[in-house]
Amino acid sequence: MSTPGPERVPSTVKVGKTTGQGKPPANKPGTSRPNAGKTGKKGRKPVAPVKVSGGRNWGPIAVAAAVFVVAAGIIGYGVFASVQGSRDWTDKLADISGVVNYRAQKNAQIDDRTHKDGALTYVTSPPVGGAHNATWQNCMGDVYTQPVANEHAVHSLEHGAVWVTYKQGLAADQVAVLQKKVEGKDYMLMSPYAGLDKNVSVQVWGYQYKTDDVNDKAIDDFIAAARVKASMEPGAACSSGNTSTGPVTGANNGSTMNPAGS
Amino acid sequence: MISDLTSPDAGTAPGEGPAPNRSRFGYAAVALLLAGIVLGAAIGLLVPRFRTPGTDSVEAGFLRDMSTHHAQAVEMAMIAHAGSDTPGIVTLAADIATTQQAQIGYMQSWLRDWGLDPTGRDQPMAWMPDAAGSVVNGLMPGMATPEQLASLRKATGRDLDVQFLTLMRAHHLGGIHMAQEAEKLSDNKDVDWLAGSMVAAQQGEIQLIDDLLEQVRAS
Repeated sequence: MSTPGPERVPSTVKVGKTTGQGKPPANKPGTSRPNAGKTGKKGRKPVAPVKVSGGRNWGPIAVAAAVFVVAAGIIGYGVFASVQGSRDWTDKLADISGVVNYRAQKNAQIDDRTHKDGALTYVTSPPVGGAHNATWQNCMGDVYTQPVANEHAVHSLEHGAVWVTYKQGLAADQVAVLQKKVEGKDYMLMSPYAGLDKNVSVQVWGYQYKTDDVNDKAIDDFIAAARVKASMEPGAACSSGNTSTGPVTGANNGSTMNPAGS
Repeated sequence: MISDLTSPDAGTAPGEGPAPNRSRFGYAAVALLLAGIVLGAAIGLLVPRFRTPGTDSVEAGFLRDMSTHHAQAVEMAMIAHAGSDTPGIVTLAADIATTQQAQIGYMQSWLRDWGLDPTGRDQPMAWMPDAAGSVVNGLMPGMATPEQLASLRKATGRDLDVQFLTLMRAHHLGGIHMAQEAEKLSDNKDVDWLAGSMVAAQQGEIQLIDDLLEQVRAS
């Protein structure tokens, strides 16, 4: 009974469900099996096979469709996650409301990356870029309790550091909140800043975010997005920098990577 | 049931039935084939992504933390390299600074290759089980405190040598512990390779540091 048919067997498997095909040969209504409309073994042939084939495909198609939808879902999620995960850090910064993008301004003074001796003036306060001292401020998670020289700190920004500044005189418990974000982390430094117009200002080269709330989640978002990524010199280190505070001095200019005894 | 169903068309209409049956089946097969090709291509594009560690993985946590840990070793080694008068220590410091800075490069470029950020939002050591308590004031095991670093920067002569060797010894012990854990927990062979090399090299250097400490103290 099955000899000629083996190659069609797979496509017949699902037939059980399709009631349609039982009908034409329904010349044996007496059969009581549930699916058994089609019991007509000897039933009418010419029409039945055609219908059988039409009905047959639904099973595999349904399975294939289900598999396809699941697979497409998994892949779609993968694409989404991968695109999301590889979003550029500048896009992440742009998502933070209140971040100022100074790189976009193409301000020659801010974009200036030359090394200059002595005291320098900056366009923004605190500065986010510009000419700077040849020595960078050590930014190995250093927590400075006195203001540091802009001229050194800007060089740290160029190396990829996040500089956390706070209004000089900010309450100790609030300073402690900021300190937790900085200590022990390279490419981070923190210092009080005289005359700051908000309680906190965080900056990397070319980007700045100011807030009055030390617990503002945007501070963490800013750090997570830009730390190291903002480096203008990939691989440049934060150690071997100036570790003293106060205004830039002659002694700090260029030569003293490791100002001995000061 | 199957045989019940098969038999009628098989037996009854061998010439007629199969033709339309086959062509429809053929369309379905072609459609499935095309879908398969599209799926395969999409999976092929994504597999590298699935194969590399994610941002919350042990591997990513280790590479980020060890980069920071190494950076402090480089910092201390540069201080000793500039300030020590003992040739053996100057050489050791150069070795540590150049090796560990280069290893930072490996670690950072793997993170970049994997499409991950060079830094994470997690607390240090979050990738290592039961290690949360080992972080004090943000410092990972073996790391020198700001006070110890300030003291090292000021020190000269024998004082500098002893401080440097003592701090670096503790630093290596902390680093070895982290690298051993990473090697155990990670199943990325690049990470295992680098972590294994750190363990071997730093264990060797601890031997050397002990010898140098003995020499310096005897002098």
